[in-house]
Amino acid sequence: MKMKQILAVVLSAAMVFGLAACGNNTTSETTTSTETASVDTTAEPTEAPEAEVTEEHEPVTLRMAWWGSQTRHDRTVAVIELYESLNPYVTIEYEPMDFDGYFNKLATLVASNDVWDIFQLGSNFPTYQSKIYTLNDFIADGTIDVSGTNDAFLRIAADEKGNQVGLCSGVNTYGIAYDPELFKQAGVAEPTENWTWDDFKNACLTIHEKLGIYGSSKFDDWQAGASMGINQEGFGIGFFNKTNDGMGFDDPKMLADYMQMRADLVDAGAFPDPGACNEIADIEQDFVVTGEAAMTWVASNQFVALSEAAGRELKLINPPRKKADGPAGVSIQSSQMLCVSQDSKYPEEAAKFIEFFQSSVDANKILLAERGIPTFTAVREALAAELTDTEKAVYEYVDLVGSFDTGGETVNPSSPECVDAVKEQYKYYLDKVIYKEMTAEEAAQAVFDFAASQF
Amino acid sequence: MSRAKTDRIESGRSPWNRFIYNDNTVGYIFASPFIIGFLAFTIIPMLSSLYYSCTNFDLINKEKWVGFANYINLFKDERFLNSLKVTFEYVALSVPLKLAFALFIAFLLTRPSKVVSFYRSLYYLPSLIGGSVAVALVWKELFARNGLINLNLRKLGIDTVNWFGNMSTAKWPIILMTAWQFGSSMLIFAAGLKEIPTSYYEAAEIDGANGWQKFWKITMPCLSPVILFNLIMQLISSFMVFTQAFVITGGGPNDATMYYALYLYKQGIQSRNMGYASAMSWVMLIVMGTVTAIVFKTSKHWVFNEADS
Repeated sequence: MKMKQILAVVLSAAMVFGLAACGNNTTSETTTSTETASVDTTAEPTEAPEAEVTEEHEPVTLRMAWWGSQTRHDRTVAVIELYESLNPYVTIEYEPMDFDGYFNKLATLVASNDVWDIFQLGSNFPTYQSKIYTLNDFIADGTIDVSGTNDAFLRIAADEKGNQVGLCSGVNTYGIAYDPELFKQAGVAEPTENWTWDDFKNACLTIHEKLGIYGSSKFDDWQAGASMGINQEGFGIGFFNKTNDGMGFDDPKMLADYMQMRADLVDAGAFPDPGACNEIADIEQDFVVTGEAAMTWVASNQFVALSEAAGRELKLINPPRKKADGPAGVSIQSSQMLCVSQDSKYPEEAAKFIEFFQSSVDANKILLAERGIPTFTAVREALAAELTDTEKAVYEYVDLVGSFDTGGETVNPSSPECVDAVKEQYKYYLDKVIYKEMTAEEAAQAVFDFAASQF
Repeated sequence: MSRAKTDRIESGRSPWNRFIYNDNTVGYIFASPFIIGFLAFTIIPMLSSLYYSCTNFDLINKEKWVGFANYINLFKDERFLNSLKVTFEYVALSVPLKLAFALFIAFLLTRPSKVVSFYRSLYYLPSLIGGSVAVALVWKELFARNGLINLNLRKLGIDTVNWFGNMSTAKWPIILMTAWQFGSSMLIFAAGLKEIPTSYYEAAEIDGANGWQKFWKITMPCLSPVILFNLIMQLISSFMVFTQAFVITGGGPNDATMYYALYLYKQGIQSRNMGYASAMSWVMLIVMGTVTAIVFKTSKHWVFNEADS
C-alpha cells in the first residue's frame, strides 16, 4: 500500500512537471543542437571541455524576432548562424513571423514583460517606447561604432528627444511595381513620375478591359489613401501632426477621392475585391507574381523578392500623385530598425549583435539590402559593387524619390499610439464604401471623426 | 489487504503520515493537475478579465479605472452589434446542420456490419484535425477564386462563385467546415442509438409501423436526452467560432464573417483595447449563459425522460 501511494504522489508530481514542460517555448534548431552538445560533454567527462570558448564569456542566450517574407527569414537566419560561429558563447533563438502575427505576439510579450532581446520595429515605435532600451550609452562607450554611418541615418531611428531607439536596418520608400510587358499588351503607356490617380484608374480599367486581368493587385490602402494620400495634399500636411498629438489636416474630404476610386475599380473588376485580396498572404503570392495583375503596391525593399518570385521583368515607379505638379507624398524613411528590449538580460550583447547585423560587410552580403538600402557607408559600397539589375533598380528608385521636392519639410519618422486602431477603422470604412453601405464622403468623415476622437 | 493492517498504517504513524495516507489527501493529489490548471488558467484569468473590463488597459500602459464605460460603449458600437448578428446567424445555421448530419451518419452506421467501426473512425477523423489551422488553410484554397470547387463548377459549366468576395456567400465555407467536423456528435449519437431497446422496434413492426414512423415515434423521443446534450455542447462551441474565420476570411468581406470571438481578438490584440475586449468576453458569457438556459427551460417540453413516463 505504502509503495503504491508514494508511487501515486511521484506520478502525479511527474504529471504536473510534465504539463509545465509542455508550456515551454519550442526552442529553435540552433539551441537544440547546442543543448545536445552540452549533454554529450556531461555524459562523457573524459572529453576536454571547450575551454578556449568559455574562458572569457559566460554563455549568453539572446532571443530575436522579426517579420517578413521567406527570403528575409532565410537570410536573417544565415546571419544569425554566422554571428554564432564568430561568437560561440552566444546562442540566438529566433522567431521569424509574418507582420500581423509579429505585432500580436509583441503586444502580449509587452504585457508580460518578456519582449525578445532583439526585436524589429518600424515607424510605430512610440507605442513600444517603454520597452525599448535606448542605444545612446552603447554609442557613447563605443560598444556600437557608428563612425561608418552619418547623423542623418542615425536620426531616422531616433525619437524627437534624440534617444537612439534602434539602428536602422535600411532605408526604403513606397512605390508601384508594374509589369511593362502587360502594359504594352494592353496598349497603355508606362507610368511616369508625374502620373496621377486618374491615370492610375484609367490604366487599371484599360488593362482589365483588354487583358481580362486585374489592373492592380492589393494596395496598402492606409498608406496610399490616408498616410501618403494626405501628404500629397500639400507640403507640411500629414494625417497626424508632427508632435503625434493631433490631426495634421482638417478637411475629411481629402480622404474621399481614394475611397471612391477603390470602390469604382472593384466594381469594374479592375481591382481585386476584399475576398481576393485576402488570398494574398505575402508578397510572393501577389497577383503580379501570378500574372493576374499588372501593378501592385510595394515597399521598395520588397521589389527584389517580388521580381524574383515573378521571374519576369518588373519596373518600379512612385505612386500616383493627386496633382501632376503636386507633392509626390512619398519620402525616404527607415524601413525598419532593430531594437534592444528593456526586458533583456544582456542588453550589451544584444547591442553588439545589432551593430554586427547593420555594419558588417559579411553579414550584409548575406542580407543583400532586403530590408532596405543599408545606412553604413562601407556596406553600401561593398554591395553596390555587385548589384543585380533588380537591386540596381531599387537603388535608382530610392535616389529618384530622394530627389523629389519636399518643400523643405522633413518627414515625421514616427506615428502616434492610436495608429493601429485608426488603420483598422480606415479599412473597415473602406470596405463599407466598396460594398456600398456608405458613400465615400460619409466614410471619409467617419474615419476623420474616429481618428480625431483618439486624442 | 486486511482491514487491520490498513488501520495500523493509518493510526500508528506520525500526524504527517496520517495526513498523507488519508484518502482525501490522495484524492486531492490525484486531482491536483486539474485543480492547479483550473485555478491558474481559468479562475485567475477570468477574475482579472473582470477587473480589466472596467479599465482602459491597453497591454502597454498602466490601466485606469473607467467603471462601466466599456460596457456602455459596446452597445453604441455598430461593429459589435454586427458581430452579434452574424454570430447568431452562424450558430443558427451551423448547429442544426451539423447535428442533422451527425445523426444521419450515426443512424447509417448502426447497421450491423463488420466495417462499421472502420467507417466510424473515418468519419471521426475531421473532428480530430478539423479545428487546426492547416485544415482551415486547405479549406481556404478549396473555395478560393481558382480553387478546386470553382474549377469543378467551371468544368460542369456552372457559373463560378466568388465565395469570399461576396458578403452573402462568405459564411458558407465556414459553416460547411463546421458541419464537416460532426464526428464527436456522431459518436455520442451512435452510443445513444445503441441504448434504444430493440424490443420497441419489434413491437412497432408488429403493429405495422414503417421506417419513417419508427424514426419519429421511437428513435427521436428515446434519443432526445442525447440530442439535448449535443445541442448544448455544439451551441457553446459554435458561439466561440474563431479559427476558421480568422484563417479563411479574416472577418471579411465587410465584416460578413466578423464573428464575436474574432472581433474580440481584433479589439484586444490588434487594436490593443484589452479593457474593451474583456468587457466583450463578459457579455459573451452572459449571452451564452442565457441561450443555454433557454434551451434547458424548453427541454422539458421535448426531451423524453423514461423515468417520468
